[in-house]
Amino acid sequence: MEHKHIDSSFDNDLNKINNNLLKLGTLGLDQFEKCINNFGTQNLKEIDKVIAFDEKLDELDDKIQKSGFEIIALRSPRAIDLRRVIVALKISTILERIGDYSRNISNRTKVLIELNYTDLPGVNIGKMGQKTQQMFEDVLESYTNEDDKLAIKVRNSDFKIDKMHTEYYLEIISSMQRNKKLAPIGTHLLFIAKNIERVADYVTDIAEQIYFLVNGKMLSDHRPKADETSLKIPE
Amino acid sequence: MNLKNDDLTKSIKTVGDVFVKDARIKARNVNVFYAEKKAIDEVTIDIGNKEVISFIGPSGCGKSTFLRCFNRMNDTIDICRVEGRITLDEENIYDKNVDVVPLRARIGMVFQKPNPFPKSIFDNVAYGPRIHGLADNKSHLDNIVEMSLKRAGLWNEVSDRLISPGTGLSGGQQQRLCIARAIAVSPEVILMDEPCSALDPIATAKIEELIHELGNDYSIVIVTHSMQQAARVSKRTAYFHLGKLIEVGKTKDIFTRPQHNQTEAYISGKIG
Repeated sequence: MEHKHIDSSFDNDLNKINNNLLKLGTLGLDQFEKCINNFGTQNLKEIDKVIAFDEKLDELDDKIQKSGFEIIALRSPRAIDLRRVIVALKISTILERIGDYSRNISNRTKVLIELNYTDLPGVNIGKMGQKTQQMFEDVLESYTNEDDKLAIKVRNSDFKIDKMHTEYYLEIISSMQRNKKLAPIGTHLLFIAKNIERVADYVTDIAEQIYFLVNGKMLSDHRPKADETSLKIPE
Repeated sequence: MNLKNDDLTKSIKTVGDVFVKDARIKARNVNVFYAEKKAIDEVTIDIGNKEVISFIGPSGCGKSTFLRCFNRMNDTIDICRVEGRITLDEENIYDKNVDVVPLRARIGMVFQKPNPFPKSIFDNVAYGPRIHGLADNKSHLDNIVEMSLKRAGLWNEVSDRLISPGTGLSGGQQQRLCIARAIAVSPEVILMDEPCSALDPIATAKIEELIHELGNDYSIVIVTHSMQQAARVSKRTAYFHLGKLIEVGKTKDIFTRPQHNQTEAYISGKIG
């Protein structure tokens, strides 16, 4: 049963923050998609556009934080309304951070272009980026439709990204051990792979927030993790 | 969210646990009629020992009518009829042998509008102990009045003018005087029917602070239209709609993730 508020301006405030969050999500996804594409195409002009555009995401996040703060102060939201505002504030912060990672990946891609990089054997950053991008698309769809089942599916798929990251980490270290001249390229690739893995983690956090929004409680089980890079000693 | 959305025209089961371990008041299948009109429909709930519970719901939902059943205030309305069973410490308060005067001392009441007697501040508080014979002598009565005014947070403001008329106090002070009057007879339960609706925010804050303190010693049932107030002062909240008790639960659960659609809609300002 869907109710509207007696005071319709409250609905307007909630719709406004929701629409801005969806806009931030769409822009954040677009930025991430572009930074992954640019990694492959090495188009410097497009890379600079992604870097410059990041401040728009920051501005939109600021706007969402301000309106959420005002709704809490002026409307005293309760139940689903309270969850909606709190979740919007959290997701907005996460999307802003994802934007930072897209910018960082773009900055590192520029350096790699200067270093005349090519993919290292066994390392496919583009593939990892595309899988993360799919998670990102799914989580936005999950938010739009308040689909907690899709949110759980997104959350569970983080495992694959973790696994991929661990594999690439070991491959990159191994390449650098074999050819020390690859160290500058390898180091930037390590960071880019880690940044993508962190984006997938953030997308997973968004999925958990969506579950909380819909159900009013946090997912209680621990999600499977497969990022073992902090535990592995390269051979 | 899988909310329960029963048809309210049918008999429904209250969502949440209506029972508590250490109940002082037990209401079972209570129905209240004004002539032929049913105002309360099969309500069952416990009021725990030293708990503060809020009754919330839209105007006309029956929360005040139900509150007034606890000290038989509805007896004063000729066309009002109460069915079901309400006990205070397992004693049926609607038993024909129960005298309502001592009952109303055990279950005191504070009303929406402060209603001090047209007497001095001292006599307002001393009235109950006098008629119930609770004071052995003048000194004892003085002590009861002082303690009651202190407990009501009013002593420091009126100790030098106890012979002044109670009606000369500010609205917030008058309400605290009424609370002092209620606690002067050592009640077990205090009923409050929108006690702050006529008060400004400062006076309201003082009453709410008082409710927190009194909650350590008494069971308090408060009817309020202010959901922020219910959230601030009570540990448990009961939501009424059209004479039915829809949902009962911990206040923090009711205000963050209510289980019934009607509760959700009311507390988030979608019906009223």
